[in-house]
Amino acid sequence: MSFVLVQVIVGGLLLGAVYALFSSGLTLVWGMMNIVNFAHGDFVMLGMYVAYVVYTLMGGGPIVGAPLAVLVLATLGVVVYFGLIRDIMKGPMLAQILGTFGLALLLRYSVFWWFGADFKSLPQNIVGGTYAVAGLRLEASRLLAGVVALLVTLGLHLLLTRTSLGSKMLAVAEDATAAQLMGIRPDTMQAIAWAIAAGATGLAGALIANFFYIVPTVGETLGIVAFVTVSLGGFGSVPGALVAGLLIGVIESLSGYLIGAVYKDIVVYILFLFFLWFRPQGLMGKM
Amino acid sequence: MRRLLWLSVLAAVAIAYPLLLSSPFQQRLGALVLLYAIAASAWNIVGGYAGQVSVGHVVFFGCGAYAAMGAYAKFELSPLFGIPGGIVIAVVLAAVIGVPTLRLSGHYFSMATIAVAETMRLIVTNTDYLGAAVGLSGPTVARNIFDLSFISSLPYYYLFLLVLAITLVITWWMANSRMGFYLRAIKDSERAARSLGAPARRTKLYAFMLSAALTSVAGALYAMMFGFVDPESGLGILISVKILIMAALGGAGLLFGPLVGAAILVPLEEISNSVLGGKGAGLTFVVYGAIIVLIARFQPGGILSLFKRRSKPASEAGAPHAP
Amino acid sequence: MLLEARGITKAFGSFKAVDDASVTLEQGDILGLIGPNGAGKSTFFNCLTGDLRTTAGRVLFEGRDITDLAPEQRAQLGLARTFQLPQTFEGMTVLENVMIGAFLRAAHRTEAETKARAVLERVGMIRLADAPARSLGTPGRKRLEIARALATEPKVLLLDEAMAGLNAHEVKLAIDLVRDIHRAGITLVIVEHIMEVIMSLASRVMVFHQGKEIARGSPREVTANPAVIAAYLGTRAAKAAAGHTPIELMGGPT
Repeated sequence: MSFVLVQVIVGGLLLGAVYALFSSGLTLVWGMMNIVNFAHGDFVMLGMYVAYVVYTLMGGGPIVGAPLAVLVLATLGVVVYFGLIRDIMKGPMLAQILGTFGLALLLRYSVFWWFGADFKSLPQNIVGGTYAVAGLRLEASRLLAGVVALLVTLGLHLLLTRTSLGSKMLAVAEDATAAQLMGIRPDTMQAIAWAIAAGATGLAGALIANFFYIVPTVGETLGIVAFVTVSLGGFGSVPGALVAGLLIGVIESLSGYLIGAVYKDIVVYILFLFFLWFRPQGLMGKM
Repeated sequence: MRRLLWLSVLAAVAIAYPLLLSSPFQQRLGALVLLYAIAASAWNIVGGYAGQVSVGHVVFFGCGAYAAMGAYAKFELSPLFGIPGGIVIAVVLAAVIGVPTLRLSGHYFSMATIAVAETMRLIVTNTDYLGAAVGLSGPTVARNIFDLSFISSLPYYYLFLLVLAITLVITWWMANSRMGFYLRAIKDSERAARSLGAPARRTKLYAFMLSAALTSVAGALYAMMFGFVDPESGLGILISVKILIMAALGGAGLLFGPLVGAAILVPLEEISNSVLGGKGAGLTFVVYGAIIVLIARFQPGGILSLFKRRSKPASEAGAPHAP
Repeated sequence: MLLEARGITKAFGSFKAVDDASVTLEQGDILGLIGPNGAGKSTFFNCLTGDLRTTAGRVLFEGRDITDLAPEQRAQLGLARTFQLPQTFEGMTVLENVMIGAFLRAAHRTEAETKARAVLERVGMIRLADAPARSLGTPGRKRLEIARALATEPKVLLLDEAMAGLNAHEVKLAIDLVRDIHRAGITLVIVEHIMEVIMSLASRVMVFHQGKEIARGSPREVTANPAVIAAYLGTRAAKAAAGHTPIELMGGPT
């Protein structure tokens, strides 16, 4: 295998770890409440803009930007849960899709209105330098994003499987009424799930802000990426999201390298449609 | 009887509108309302009646728009000749999307429609034959009346009115047929509908294909009126959004819901654009987003559902008497 | 033979919810399926209706293999069902709910409406024809389920706990309705928890326990069967209760 190809694959894995992180947020909410957040990609976008604002206003790097993005998005998650989700999750499918889709527009165009439609980016030197690891040249910003995303995704998995908070959340996901009888408040657990999901997503946004283009409509593409990832990985499964996210990161990088950057999104979309056609059982983790 | 009266009043108002409010701006506004009402009514068949929320409906709109402009730009034919071609492509595409996704939960359908629409937009943007990012243009000067290229909005207005009337008649006919009943049943409980013999997948697929065909016609008309189509105006996600929100605001699954939605939102957008200028575009969609959230949260049935005649409640429903 | 199931097995992962169950149904039968919660009777029922795909085994209807047919195709052949938790079409009136069933054998709206009204008349709900279905309470919804299924003009009607959640008086009315349906020549399969319903209706009973058929026969034979009592009450309790009549022990909703 050529050396460049290895470089491309490693780059894909690093990006894929970030995909895995924000897809974990989507899968958590989907698996637990059976609601699909169509504004999920826009949560990532907001995380990116938080990092952007932190840099432009106070010159802060990811050390400040990332925790702030988590905080802002987690708060937004709770607000969205109590203000919207709690009511529409019992309603008809139309209301669920419209509700989160409307939220997506609201967020996307508020940012558009405020910051304008032009592409923004953070200067290369915030997380400076390039490391040579085993002969590969890795940009520090991508390395940081990939490694942090990987660790946080694993942490989320541990949180869900190894802590009492995690088992309470799973209990609510299984049967909210039964959980309530056991003294667990579904409302609180679901709000926490939204906070965690949105916070993780905001973190992912702040991490990729260092090397990704920042534009209000970026959430549209990333939202679809998250959906594809969750579809492949299975609903509610963080490990599934991790594997699928890494896979999609690599596929995207490879197709960008082999057939051209404009086609990398197309490849992911077509991959998704291909799976819908030929392996729907792989998409039906929970019926 | 009262229904008939209301219908006649509505028809009279629709016919008289461009003659009474005859400034170019007003006539154009009227034509746009009707155009979006056609597209939203077409969406309503699958999104409202069948409850399958297509978020990528613009892809069918684009089929019609590109077919109409392509007929002129590639074959020097009247854009009208593109309409059948646009319909065929839209229907085939609907089948390709619908067959795999309509058997899965509604979220897949929504997401798949977005993915297809975005894929098409990206492909078309990179296809030189279809004009890439610049798009295709129609006739700048009409060679004859069949080019449907007019300076005034008035001919478009009446053309759109006719097509809207046809669309509504088709919708009405469908809603009162077995298919319409089955769609409503499937929306409430697919499992129960199937147990009673409703072929759920096939019925949803037919609704989707019918909706795609009509949306394609709307796209062709749109391109004819504006004289061109490019990836943003013909395949951009925001057109999908407009179509969807109009139907939902007016009342998804109600015959006149989309028309009511279009009559509110098109003027809102046109006025906000002319008042706020380019900066207004973002703000308009902020408002759109807020409206959608509010509808979903408080009135998922849309505005018209507020006025629906309330049936008498089954007060003693708990105790049906024995046979 | 009207309906036949041969060696039906339904597994969810490694768990066999139904293990090698067979049954035959003759014209005019009323077959009762009973068993404790989670015994597999509902799963078996759903394999007959096509809501669940069987892991192994065949289902035959009038001699034709229908194992691979979808629920709507089985309905077309004359198999109708109700749901344990009523699946009312909430956005419709009572009449429209029944029309959905009637449309199976009526192409046009007016024809379907006429048929639906006749069915509503028959089940005593004609007064409620124009009421929104969501305004119905549990008994109304249960009865509406039956009305909808009848409107498909079935040969076999499968009732999934059609009496659960009804009070004693309502149960009596519902039993009368089922008898009436049976008199009209429709063969029935009923899943039921309430023993008195099974005792007064079923001509034959099949008892499930842990996915397996443990007994079959007339209601009286089955309720006297020690294995059945043990399944319901546990072996030790069954021994202790040896002096009592089985029906007393099993009566009432569990």
